[in-house]
Amino acid sequence: MVSVTTTARAAGPGRRRPRSRSALRLLVLLAILAVVLYPLIWMLGTALKSQEEIVSNVGLLPERFTPGNFTAGWSHFDVSFGRFFLNSALVSLLTVVGNAVSCLLAAYAFARLRFPLRGAWFAVMIGTLLLPGHVLIVPQYILFRSVGLVGAEWPYLPLLVPQFLATEAFFVFLMVQFMRGIPRELDEAAKIDGASAYGIFRYVILPLSRPALVTTAIFSFIWTWNDFFRQLVFLSDLQDYTVPVALTLFIDSTSQSAVGPMFAMSVLSLLPVFGFFVAFQRMLVEGINTSGLKG
Amino acid sequence: MALTTAPDPTRGGTGSVRPRATRRRTGRIRYGDGLAGYVFLSPWLAGLLAVTAIPMLVSLYLSFTNYDILTPFSEVRWVGLANYERMFTADPSYWHAVRVTLTFALIAVPLKLAAALGVALLLNRAWRGVGLFRGLFYLPSLLGGSVALAIVWVNMFNRDGAVNSLLSLFGIEGRPWVNDPDWALETLMVLAIWQFGAPMVIFLAGLKQVPTELYEAAAVDGAGRWRKFRNVTLPMLSPVIFFNLVLETINGFQGFTAAFVLSNGTGGPVDSTLMYTLNLYITGFTDLEMGYASAMAWVFLIAIALITVIFFSTGRFWVHYADGEGR
Amino acid sequence: MHPATPTTADAPVGRTHRTPLSRRRLVRGVLAVALAAPLMFGAAACGDDEAADPNAPVKLAVFWWGGDARAKLTEDVLALYTRKHPNVTFEKTWQANQGYFDKLATLTAGGNPPDLFQIDDNFLAEYAARNTTLDLTSYQSSGKLDTAKFPKSLWQYGVVDGKLAGLAAGENTQGLVYNKTLLTRHGLPEPTTGMSWEEHIAWAEQVARTTKVPGTQDPSADYKAFWVWLRQQGKDLYNGKELGFTAEDVTRWFELWKGARDRKATPTADVIHEGNSTDITKQLVATGKAATSWVWANQMPEIKKNTKDELGVVAYPGDPSAQWARASMYWSVFRGSRHKDVAVDVINFMVNDPEAVKLLGTDRGLPSNLDLRTVVSEGATDPAMKQSIAVETELAQKFGESPQVPIKGHSKVRAELIKAAENAQYGRATPAQAASQFVDACKSAIV
Repeated sequence: MVSVTTTARAAGPGRRRPRSRSALRLLVLLAILAVVLYPLIWMLGTALKSQEEIVSNVGLLPERFTPGNFTAGWSHFDVSFGRFFLNSALVSLLTVVGNAVSCLLAAYAFARLRFPLRGAWFAVMIGTLLLPGHVLIVPQYILFRSVGLVGAEWPYLPLLVPQFLATEAFFVFLMVQFMRGIPRELDEAAKIDGASAYGIFRYVILPLSRPALVTTAIFSFIWTWNDFFRQLVFLSDLQDYTVPVALTLFIDSTSQSAVGPMFAMSVLSLLPVFGFFVAFQRMLVEGINTSGLKG
Repeated sequence: MALTTAPDPTRGGTGSVRPRATRRRTGRIRYGDGLAGYVFLSPWLAGLLAVTAIPMLVSLYLSFTNYDILTPFSEVRWVGLANYERMFTADPSYWHAVRVTLTFALIAVPLKLAAALGVALLLNRAWRGVGLFRGLFYLPSLLGGSVALAIVWVNMFNRDGAVNSLLSLFGIEGRPWVNDPDWALETLMVLAIWQFGAPMVIFLAGLKQVPTELYEAAAVDGAGRWRKFRNVTLPMLSPVIFFNLVLETINGFQGFTAAFVLSNGTGGPVDSTLMYTLNLYITGFTDLEMGYASAMAWVFLIAIALITVIFFSTGRFWVHYADGEGR
Repeated sequence: MHPATPTTADAPVGRTHRTPLSRRRLVRGVLAVALAAPLMFGAAACGDDEAADPNAPVKLAVFWWGGDARAKLTEDVLALYTRKHPNVTFEKTWQANQGYFDKLATLTAGGNPPDLFQIDDNFLAEYAARNTTLDLTSYQSSGKLDTAKFPKSLWQYGVVDGKLAGLAAGENTQGLVYNKTLLTRHGLPEPTTGMSWEEHIAWAEQVARTTKVPGTQDPSADYKAFWVWLRQQGKDLYNGKELGFTAEDVTRWFELWKGARDRKATPTADVIHEGNSTDITKQLVATGKAATSWVWANQMPEIKKNTKDELGVVAYPGDPSAQWARASMYWSVFRGSRHKDVAVDVINFMVNDPEAVKLLGTDRGLPSNLDLRTVVSEGATDPAMKQSIAVETELAQKFGESPQVPIKGHSKVRAELIKAAENAQYGRATPAQAASQFVDACKSAIV
């Protein structure tokens, strides 16, 4: 697998690859893909089964197609499912912005600047990744409530404020690693041209950090879209619920089980994230080597 | 970068911080950087102080108490090291969970990374439709830990599930994988590996950063495919490999969602999927022993920090940074 | 495999200030102050303004778990209350049971718990023991909370340590749900209330032999079946702060079901494990993997929605007087609520007002108020619902005294029973080994 790719890469724009090789690669990809996607196809099949069939028929395809699950799921609650989609989109998009901006700034400091206690702060940053979140949620709730974030006019504040303060150390670390892959000669050249630390950030690092920013955007969006526990704890009004919280409302395991509509909405909820991914991954395709900035 | 350390010792970590003296920097730049450094760091510092540090310190404090969530802080009783003693001497479930987690991480993490790197290399070059393929390979990871995922997975790996139907084509008699205490953890590993999308995307992004000229230069030198991979791709990708290794290891040890979802929050059958963090969650929220759970969390932090330190200290031998700073 | 070593109880009590470690104390003091600060904000907000004008506007936070059907009914009833008392409005939060108690605990810790919340017997004692719930006794004696029409054992099942910690929002009881269609098709007899355990297992064996579907789920991991069985042996799940049974009892219980498994009356261990989930859609009678499931009688109509087959419901085997009028869930009031009197009045309204009770129907179980229960029962239209009401009403005649509400540590006891029983089911332990493992684990769980 490995050699195929590197060849392809080295062949560059010339496109002199033998046809058989790319056919082979496609075949390998399709085989892996079939295995990877089977459970998802099963999920789609289940979304089209009736309630009884979901429990009794574990096969891939429904005996009787029940597309009604989609309409039933959409309007299952007093609040339309579209509202939950909008809420999730709002929270996810703002999280993307917050993470991209705040983590990029911090990562630049860690990766390129020299200042007292840098090593110590970096260690602290990595340390914040390591504590299991379940022991933090109660103290965090108490803290957020005491500063008025909980119960504020806008219910998403406790979910979003941390994201604008680079608390997702994962992304800081990710960007640090990417920035360290940018040759330092570029900084030196800019410095000779009289650029300050801010100038280097603006004209060298920022344009070259696109892969890292795109990766951050993708993950921020998807993870927020799927995050259940924090959103459950901090949101209290049906109107404000997000998709992952709303999806659990279909099944109250002791008293109610609208499995079909739940599956239908689960399938639907994949579409925005899938779209977001496909749209943004395009930007991964054009790496720094095409950006014309290499000196 | 001077990181060979556990978290800040003031927060109870065991490592020591050794900021290495700056090399080859002139005084002029160092001064400017010092101010700029803190300017750029300020949002993160604010977040640390306002959002992260206080709850962390609180949880550290609570780990020395009998905190049960429902009792107000003011009535919490200090129990000294009792929680830690209990963990190390009197709680077989705890050690069981440690074993389960180690087994899981040691097997699932390397396999997941291998799958992610392999597919990323296959999908690296731009060709028509590659975006769709990338998306499709990422699709499983989009599911996160939803209720639907649990139902899907249980039905794949049940006695009458798809996996056994496939096996029976080859005349192999399957097992009730997900409901078999000897195989449930393996089922969980397959789930983790199946969701290899995140490291795959990071590998893809990293591959994009490898300058094409290096391959061209290598070609001029007469390097074959393998040598190009070995001498160009791998070293240039090493910071990203390093990142993925560190993060996936942390994720592997923290693996909560899959275990929670697949076992309905119990860690069953017979505790076979009782991962460390699941045990911690049950202890904290179901048994309402949050003090004890906090102690578990801090032991976890120290253990993972040690592993991370080992990674960082071996990094200098194999991670290649274009910024010219070694480790 | 899980080692069967006993988890010895560590008793940190009394060790607290053994040595004057000044540094530790200093750290502790500083932290305590830092932590107390937010707490004091919370406390300051909790001032009691009960004495104020009865017509002053009141906003009550209400929190419950359930599906959307329950949400609609509850919202309608609360709206009805507002119509009758225009000064009272509600801040309603509802969600599925997944994560409900995590959130309730977090809200409580944050000094922000709902005034009025739904709770079950799994957690009632946990909350009551920590003084989170308001003692409703004085309201009961003053008649502000009217339980005159309640079965006595039903409201008593909300008393923890002599305090009325929660009021039953509805009644249910254990029920065996079986696949009627399957039995009829094969000309097999239906199970009946009052069958002995041996008879039940023999019947299940016969069903398995004839239909190739295992006759009954193995309920050895199910605390509610174990509990009924214990009561028939003159024992109980809890006795004060102690366990109400011994390792020998558990051994006999596990051996009873090992016998049933050996006779192929039950499914294999992996299927039993599947059915051990509390999830309705996984009940073996719905998935067709066994002819009988051990559930709560009022869950039958919901199980019915997952299968084409006709279902029937009877009491658990043995003497049905071991069963009791169980509160399917309670309403409790937060002790620090600013509007305790109003909150209690809302509970009273939901359980005793004819209009409200009619609106709520049987969603939370049979209405607690017996007069209104008759009215509601007659109004039921769903056939499965009618059937389940009929059986429950009939059983109610035979109910015995309520046991005490499960004590602190009950969640863990339930989990440990599942673990031990499954160890025996998978053949990883003998019934005796599993039993002693369970009892040891329980002892450290309920200290």
